[in-house]
Amino acid sequence: MKRLCKVAVALAAFLAPVAAQAHAMLDHSSPRVGSTVASAPKELLLWFTEKLEPAFSTAEVRNAQGTVVSGKAQADRSDGTELHVPLKALPPGTYSVTWRVLSVDTHRTQGSFTFSVGP
Amino acid sequence: MSNRYVYAGLCGLAAALACSPSRSHEIVGNRMFPATLTIDDPGVADELSLPTVAFYKTGDDPSAKQLDISGEYSKRITEDFAVSFSPTWTHLYAPGGPNGVGASGFQNIETTFKYRVFKNEEHEFVASVGLNIEWGGSGAQDVGADGFTTYTPTVYFGKGFGDLPASMNWARPFALTGQVGYAIPSSSATVTIDPDTGDVDTEFNPRVLVWGASLQYSLPYLKSAVADVGLPDFVNHLIPLVEASFETPVSNTSTSGTLTTGTINPGVIYVGKEFQIGVEAMIPINRQSGTNVGVIGQIHFFLDDIFPNSLGRPLFGNSIASGRANP
Repeated sequence: MKRLCKVAVALAAFLAPVAAQAHAMLDHSSPRVGSTVASAPKELLLWFTEKLEPAFSTAEVRNAQGTVVSGKAQADRSDGTELHVPLKALPPGTYSVTWRVLSVDTHRTQGSFTFSVGP
Repeated sequence: MSNRYVYAGLCGLAAALACSPSRSHEIVGNRMFPATLTIDDPGVADELSLPTVAFYKTGDDPSAKQLDISGEYSKRITEDFAVSFSPTWTHLYAPGGPNGVGASGFQNIETTFKYRVFKNEEHEFVASVGLNIEWGGSGAQDVGADGFTTYTPTVYFGKGFGDLPASMNWARPFALTGQVGYAIPSSSATVTIDPDTGDVDTEFNPRVLVWGASLQYSLPYLKSAVADVGLPDFVNHLIPLVEASFETPVSNTSTSGTLTTGTINPGVIYVGKEFQIGVEAMIPINRQSGTNVGVIGQIHFFLDDIFPNSLGRPLFGNSIASGRANP
């Protein structure tokens, strides 16, 4: 048993410093996931847990009718984990965000959430 | 399975299988199904569980404490097909073991072949089929390892509830996973002869329905897909869950009976970027399943994240890996 434990500890110690990259997952956003903001934002900001490949990372925002109300997503110039999504003037309502990104270690992830504009 | 009945009883069998380490994690759209501790999750992945440690009291009469330490390495051959290997080391405290003074040794080595047959990202649904083989004679009979091989074809499924309507947002982080297998021993009976009396004892090895499920509530999912309510970062990595793992002998049950044994395991899993840590209580469902609440813990590494360009890739295909959308 002691030998097994030693092997486990040694393996954990070996693996830990190697763990530099992983799937790019949504860390947080502005507006926040599921939140309601009083005034319409001009852009949606998405922060991920890993650096992205900008050419293969996209996001779009649709209104309740399914119409796209966002422009082309752009990677932040200084923060490789951040995406900027320009938005049209958003009237009060609920908006759905869909994102698809590729991390620099070639893991593809996708996700969706909503936020609302209004009182 | 008669040896296991002789030395560990029905509860020991249930507990041993419940603690066998063939677990993995799966990503389907918004949903990450974590590697569950007592049942297998519905997908395939490159990963390593090391160690999985379980400590509990068997349902034998008299009951004995049992410690299991196991590991599992799972390797994708293709994007949808994986093979895993899992040894388990067992220590039985007195009065366990064949002579009542305790025993130590390895259980039979297990190999699982698993193929993901269906995956729907929109509805967070995934299903796989697999074949688990417990290689008879590869372990120590003193700790209950069978002398015969057991084949268990199994169906696995996972369903996230992220597709529920917005009016049920509170329920969208829930997910249900499950498995149903049918354990077929290669030998229908085990015959032992008492060296002192010469009496012949025949134990019939039953075919056993191996089934279980887990109900999970993913706080990572809550934060990234439903509502970021500003919980502490540590909490946002937790997945509280309840697992249940059962065995029901269904045929060739002359000596085993048909009593269902198993445990219900509430616990929590912390999911990091490249690993997860889980701990659960093991609550036996009846006297034959154990005499006390046990505990099981596991450290699990996502090799596809740790070694994305080498060890963590399928041997064939998959130039770009797909992945989960919440930590």
